[in-house]
Amino acid sequence: MIGFIILVTFIGIITIAFASIIQTKLSDAIILFMGVGLGTVVLFFIFKAPDVALTEAVIGAGISSLIFLMALKHLGEKA
Amino acid sequence: MFEYFNQPEVIKTIVTIGSMALFFVGLFGLLTQKHIIKIFISIAIMEVSLFLLFIGLMYEQSFLAPILQNPDANFTNMNDPIPHAMILTAIVIGMAVLALGVSFAIEYYKLTGKTNIDEMNEMRH
Amino acid sequence: MSFKRDVPTSTMSGFALSAVLVLTFLNILLQNIPSKINTAGDALLQLNASQGVANAVTTVVVYFRGFDTLGEIAVLFIAALGIGLMLSKNKHCDIKAESNFMLQTASRLLFPIIMLFGIYVMVYGHLSPGGGFQGGVIVASAVLLLLISHKDFEVPHSVIVMLETFAGVSYVLIGLIGLLVLDKFLGNFLPNDISNMGLLMSGGIIPIIYIIVGIKVGSEMSIIVQNLLKRSENV
Repeated sequence: MIGFIILVTFIGIITIAFASIIQTKLSDAIILFMGVGLGTVVLFFIFKAPDVALTEAVIGAGISSLIFLMALKHLGEKA
Repeated sequence: MFEYFNQPEVIKTIVTIGSMALFFVGLFGLLTQKHIIKIFISIAIMEVSLFLLFIGLMYEQSFLAPILQNPDANFTNMNDPIPHAMILTAIVIGMAVLALGVSFAIEYYKLTGKTNIDEMNEMRH
Repeated sequence: MSFKRDVPTSTMSGFALSAVLVLTFLNILLQNIPSKINTAGDALLQLNASQGVANAVTTVVVYFRGFDTLGEIAVLFIAALGIGLMLSKNKHCDIKAESNFMLQTASRLLFPIIMLFGIYVMVYGHLSPGGGFQGGVIVASAVLLLLISHKDFEVPHSVIVMLETFAGVSYVLIGLIGLLVLDKFLGNFLPNDISNMGLLMSGGIIPIIYIIVGIKVGSEMSIIVQNLLKRSENV
C-alpha cells in the first residue's frame, strides 16, 4: 500500500511541475510551484524524516514562494 | 496487486526514476523558457528533485524516525541521520542563493525594463 | 501553449543524449544496490548516546558537524548583505492605502501566537523535530504579517543589528571556550550525561548553540523580507 501511495504522489508532483513551467501568466506558475512544495512535504513525511519535512514546509513552500511573489509584484504579469 | 509495490527494490526503482524525471522536467524548463523568473523556478525544481533522491534511497519499511521517546530505549533500527543534516543545510543555502538572484532580476528590470533573456545583450558588442 | 517556439535542434538533441546517458547510468546503479547498507550513520547513532540528546539529527547538525553550520550561517549573512546592498535605495513602503479593519485586528491577535510558536520550535529543538532554522523562519513570517497589515511599521534597525551581531559573535566565542577547556573547537564542556535525556536542560551546549542559530536566522530573514517589500522613490 505504501508503494502505491509513493507512485501516485510522484506522478502528481511531475505533472504539477510540468504544468508550472508552460503557463503563460506568471502568477499561475508561482501557485503551481507551491503545489510542488506541498507534494514533497508529503513525500518526506512518508519517508520518515520529520526534520527535513518541517524545513521544506517552512522554507520551500513559505519563504521561497514569497520571494517569487515579491518578484511578481515588481515585474508585472508577464507583460 | 498492492503487495507488489511494497517490495524494497520496486520502491527504490520508483524513487530513482521519479526524481530523475522531475530533474529532466526542470532541465527542459531551463533550456526553453525565456522569462527570467521562470528560469529561477526551473532551477528550484531541479534542486527539489535531488533532495527527494537523497532521502528516498535510504528508506526501509521497518525503520523509525531518528528521535527517541523514552530514556532507556537504544538507537537501533533507526533511520540514518547524516543525509537529513546534509539536506537541511542544502535547503537553506538554496533559498539564500535564489533570493539573491531574484533581487538582481528586480534591480535589472528597474534599470532597463527588460525581462526577456534574448533582449539582454548589452555586453554583446 | 507557450513552449511551441523555435528551439534549436542542437539543444533538443543534447537534451535527449543526456537523458539516454543518465538512464544507462541509473540502470547500472539500480542493479547493484544491496538490501542493507552499513554506513557511518549507524556508528553515529551509537555515539549519540554519549551526548544525552534525544534528537539524533540535532546532534549531527550541531555537534558532530558544527563547523558546517558555522559556514552555512556565513553564507546566509553574505546573501542578506548582497540583497541589502542592491535594494537599499528604496525608501517608501509600497502599500498605498490603509488596509482593512479586519486584517489589522486579526494580525494584532495572531502576531504573538505565531511568535510564541516559533520560539517554542527553536527552544525544544533537541527533544522533538525542529530546531534553529525552522524556528527562525517562523519568527520571520510573523514579522512579515505585521509588515503587510500595517502601513507605517518598520523593523527597528538598531535592535536587529545588535541581535545579529550578538548571535554571530557568541557562536565563535562558545567554540573558543570549548577550545580552552577541552582542547577541541566547539567541544561540549557543560554537563551532558545520559540520565537527563528527555528533559529540557540536557545535552550541554547543544540547545544553547541552536538558540543562537535561531536568533541569527530569524533576524536575517526579517531583513531580507523587509528589503523586498519596499519600492523606490520615483516609480
